[in-house]
Amino acid sequence: MTAPPPTRAPATASARLPLTPAPSRSWWSRRQRGWAPYVFISPFYVLYGLFLLVPILIGLYLSCTEWAGLGTPRWVGLRNYRDLSGDHSFWTAVANTGLYIVFTLCVVLPASLLIAQALNARGLRGRDLFRLTYFMPVVISPIVITLVFGLFFDTEFGLLNAVGQALFGFGGIDWLGSPGWARVTVVVLVLWRWTGYLTIFFLAGLQNVPKELYEAAALDGAGPISRFRNVTLPSLRPVTAFVAVTVLVSTAQIFDEPFLLAQGGPGESTLSVAMFIFRAGFQRQQLGYAAAAGVLLFVAVFVLGRLAMRLLGVGRDDR
Amino acid sequence: MSDLSRRSVLRAGVGAGAGLLTVPALAACGASSAAPVRSGRVRISLWTHDPGYIKTFRTAIRDTGLMRGSRFDYGLKVTSAAPGDVMTRMIAQAVADGNTPDLAGLVIDQFPRVMGSSIARNLFVDLGDTVRPFGDDLLKLVPYTVDGVPYGLDSDNSITVLYYRQDLFEKYRVPEQVATWEEFLEHGERLSKDHEVSVGMVSTGDNGSIVNGFLQFLLQRGGGFFDEAGHLVLDSPEALEVLRFMARGVRSGALLALPDPYGSACAAALKSGRLAATAMPNWYNAYGLQANVPDQKGRWRMRTLPRFAGGGHIGSTLGGTAFAVLKDKPHSQAALELLRRVYLSREGQILRYKSGGFLPTLKHLYQDPELVATEDAYLGGQPVFDVYGEAAADLPLFYQAPGMQILADVLGGPVLDVLKGRTSPDAALQAGLRAYRQQVKR
Repeated sequence: MTAPPPTRAPATASARLPLTPAPSRSWWSRRQRGWAPYVFISPFYVLYGLFLLVPILIGLYLSCTEWAGLGTPRWVGLRNYRDLSGDHSFWTAVANTGLYIVFTLCVVLPASLLIAQALNARGLRGRDLFRLTYFMPVVISPIVITLVFGLFFDTEFGLLNAVGQALFGFGGIDWLGSPGWARVTVVVLVLWRWTGYLTIFFLAGLQNVPKELYEAAALDGAGPISRFRNVTLPSLRPVTAFVAVTVLVSTAQIFDEPFLLAQGGPGESTLSVAMFIFRAGFQRQQLGYAAAAGVLLFVAVFVLGRLAMRLLGVGRDDR
Repeated sequence: MSDLSRRSVLRAGVGAGAGLLTVPALAACGASSAAPVRSGRVRISLWTHDPGYIKTFRTAIRDTGLMRGSRFDYGLKVTSAAPGDVMTRMIAQAVADGNTPDLAGLVIDQFPRVMGSSIARNLFVDLGDTVRPFGDDLLKLVPYTVDGVPYGLDSDNSITVLYYRQDLFEKYRVPEQVATWEEFLEHGERLSKDHEVSVGMVSTGDNGSIVNGFLQFLLQRGGGFFDEAGHLVLDSPEALEVLRFMARGVRSGALLALPDPYGSACAAALKSGRLAATAMPNWYNAYGLQANVPDQKGRWRMRTLPRFAGGGHIGSTLGGTAFAVLKDKPHSQAALELLRRVYLSREGQILRYKSGGFLPTLKHLYQDPELVATEDAYLGGQPVFDVYGEAAADLPLFYQAPGMQILADVLGGPVLDVLKGRTSPDAALQAGLRAYRQQVKR
């Protein structure tokens, strides 16, 4: 068998195609393999830059300017920061915000955990009703909250004072007019509004704790308190850490509650840092000054958040 | 992949982002180039917080008598927002060279936000030539004047009068025409002691309400926060006298301390009859009394304010909303003409009163037969312009300054302390002034 004689290939365009692409095609083909992954991930970086980095950089720049919102910002260097350090209102706001954070971490968080524990009890009837009830405050309109709480805490016509008068013979507490009581009122509103929401997280965590652990503890003779301390709390550590950090960061930026109840009053006794920023920026047109306070709040929240994450071991696998 | 590093891609991304940002920034630098509309169909963009103004302008553009001879055929594009948001969004849109309104309703306590840094001059049409022919006949222009240039026309004169329950006054033998506040307070002290009824209220809620209540009395007494040049004049004997008066009223129960004059606590006080009188502006008739106690129709009356024994006026003012025309817009001319027709003509002012109860700002209209004949059914058919006319002839001037918001913030706490008996009027005033100077120094 002899090989057939080589035939002359038809002189078609396809036949004339070289094994390697033409120079222009080859440039594109060679590079598209390199570009492709970056093109695919670029939306994230572009959006990240546009909506996170650029605003932060603009905020930093504004914090070193004096700007009323119209016209050209005037560069003032670090003067806004120096003024903030001597601004009594700012430090009042910082102290109030600190109080709200401490209260949330020390009262709201444990209260949520205890309520979740109660809701997780075996054989509890109406569990969904309780869940709904505790979650309700988060979804109620702030306008309704203002109206209702305003009537609850009014000195002359408030429900609380009326009940206090009827049951205990005293009812003259100036809830919203006295600086001390106004702070109490704000933290009560924080407690009422957010406890149920945090309870949902703890409840989810509790439902993932293996029952065998409780059974083993019971066999070892552990009572309810001991089981809670030695089984529940360690098992909930990741959830608790996550909730604590989230609560810390969000409470540092608290705005709604003091604004709704007393607009930061009486005087400035319930003013928070976020309200201070809002007031400077959108009521006084001191946008540079507001930006400086915003930068400080950002730094504080970032540092506190990182510290809390490290202390509580968020994202660390302890297994 | 060797010639395309990760760093270069990130650089390209940042460059693209910066490029995208540059487009609107450059656009903002360019001047608005649309040609002004001089006649024909125009759709005015109107921003306001109050449905009453929307109704007024809608009624006005359909009123053939009011619009007779106009070169424009008006339509309206309305945007409703909270008072603070109207101002904030307007400034933000101006910065971005975006969709600013043609006509903006500016609540009086928001106006100081544009009084500094030439914002008003850059945003609004100078109304000096428009209002000049009216001279002193046009009231309430000064709160919206910056460096001698008026930028807004108020919708309402906001004249403070004394509303009182005629039935309760008769029952408790309180004369309806008491001459002075001091005498009135004595009756109030008696009523509070014997019947737990008060003859006035003070606000103890947010700083704005507290300071507004104080300001209303202070203006009547002849004092004020700022003078025409924008200098602080709060440190005055009148301010001390008013604070003492308010503190005495609260202490004795003659004046009832309430968070604000509109909320649920005030409604409860009105419903229960614990509040038999209150000094509030004309708009309180609709928004305060009729809204909270419609069932008390016919029992309320009004009169001019009792004078302070030390002097002052028989009228005062609180609140207001001015309309300003945005400058250098295609519809600026049309918006100015609409504003002039609705706010500076007899027909427009009467239409405003009829559609929204807004009192005329032209002084001579308080003697207009059509208005003088007006009777208020809620006030037992009282011919109200007898009272308004008398008060309009003796209204104090209310000057604002860029530091007004700061003053309200820092004064609220000290005034509240006085009302609660926690400090003396003198100490409170000095504390407020100290805080104001410290913050304004910046």
